[in-house]
Amino acid sequence: MKDNMRTLIFAGVLGLICALVLAGVSQLTAPYRQANERAEEVRNYLSALGVPGWQGVSSSELLKVFEQNIRVDQQGKRTVYEYIPSSLSQAKPIAVAVPFSGTGLWGPIRGVLALEPDFTTIRGIRFFDQQETPGLGGEIGAKWFQDQFVGKRIVSAGGDPGFRITKPGGSTQINSVDGITGATMTSERVQVILDNLAKELLKEKSSHVQ
Amino acid sequence: MSSDSQSRQSTALPVSRVNYLGIVKDGVYRTNPVTYQVLGICIFLAITTKVENALVMGFALIFVTAMSNLIVSLLRNSIPRRIRMIAEVAIIATFVIFFDQFLKAFYWDMSKQLGPYVALIITNCIVMGRAEAFAIQNPPLPSLVDGIANGIGYALILVLIALFRELIGFGTILGYTVLSPQWYQRNILFIMAPGAFFMAGFLIWVLNFINPPKQAEAGK
Repeated sequence: MKDNMRTLIFAGVLGLICALVLAGVSQLTAPYRQANERAEEVRNYLSALGVPGWQGVSSSELLKVFEQNIRVDQQGKRTVYEYIPSSLSQAKPIAVAVPFSGTGLWGPIRGVLALEPDFTTIRGIRFFDQQETPGLGGEIGAKWFQDQFVGKRIVSAGGDPGFRITKPGGSTQINSVDGITGATMTSERVQVILDNLAKELLKEKSSHVQ
Repeated sequence: MSSDSQSRQSTALPVSRVNYLGIVKDGVYRTNPVTYQVLGICIFLAITTKVENALVMGFALIFVTAMSNLIVSLLRNSIPRRIRMIAEVAIIATFVIFFDQFLKAFYWDMSKQLGPYVALIITNCIVMGRAEAFAIQNPPLPSLVDGIANGIGYALILVLIALFRELIGFGTILGYTVLSPQWYQRNILFIMAPGAFFMAGFLIWVLNFINPPKQAEAGK
């Protein structure tokens, strides 16, 4: 009985100390972590849109660049990030970015697709928040993979909305890019995400015009 | 309680004659966590694709094993026997989460690359193994040394394997191109898990050849 009490008290005290330590650490690091997370997202938007002045700056400066150049616009259910350079007085965006998300191989994939004002030509793409296999599927976060998208379109040559990720070296269409060797599963899932996004965007665009 | 701890004294060292050099040799080489005990292989497979990741993970392991060994050793006479493993895990988890939060706050990019594997140190058998096999029955200072030595032993193997995997798999070392992609066809096998198994098996074979394990000799 005495032993049981001792065990209970020990467990309680140890648990309490551990919890207090962790709560303290979490409190202390929270502002840094949140700033990092926010800056990460903002950096992806800026680099996908091709906004200058985001490289090698601190998190707070990054947010400033973002606020000066990006207008967040709600179009129906979709949030659109419009790039309107602070240096120009024009009100028309020179590029737009739409966030997207979907299921990857190991976890959710989130990213942002930047398009030219025509809403069909790709200006840039960034995948962030992904847990694909490092070195394989994780390469969707790499520059070489993302650079392939620049100048491609989310509409086929025949005018049908959609996007393809082909076998490595097999990309010949205006709306396709090469997949990643050894990461067929990730490539397939990314294709599903982008294909759906392309179709949704084009549908929304046509309803806008009407 | 005292009879409990006495029954577990079999491998404990007398306080007066602690062989620190022996502890270090055991942890780093003679009973190396990876090549001799074959522990912590999950993290080992996952993060040895790049030297940079291996360095950070090695440092994390040294930190966590050393600190949890120290605390477990300090509490070794007051931890009730029945819940000692739970207590050990709680202590280990605290340090691991501490390190994970630290990375997220100050080394964001590295934290992103290592992904869930920092948190997975909690389940790394080396940390738990050292707490259970050494710290729970030895004084604080030898336990701290044992933790550091085993952490270093783990880190060395991580970095060694990562050197080969990054070189063969990506043609780079620490991100710098060594084998030019113009004439070098990168070997993806070495980035995937089987590559790590081959490398680990090969390394264990070489080490056992140089320095045969004691049981094998006794069996002859």
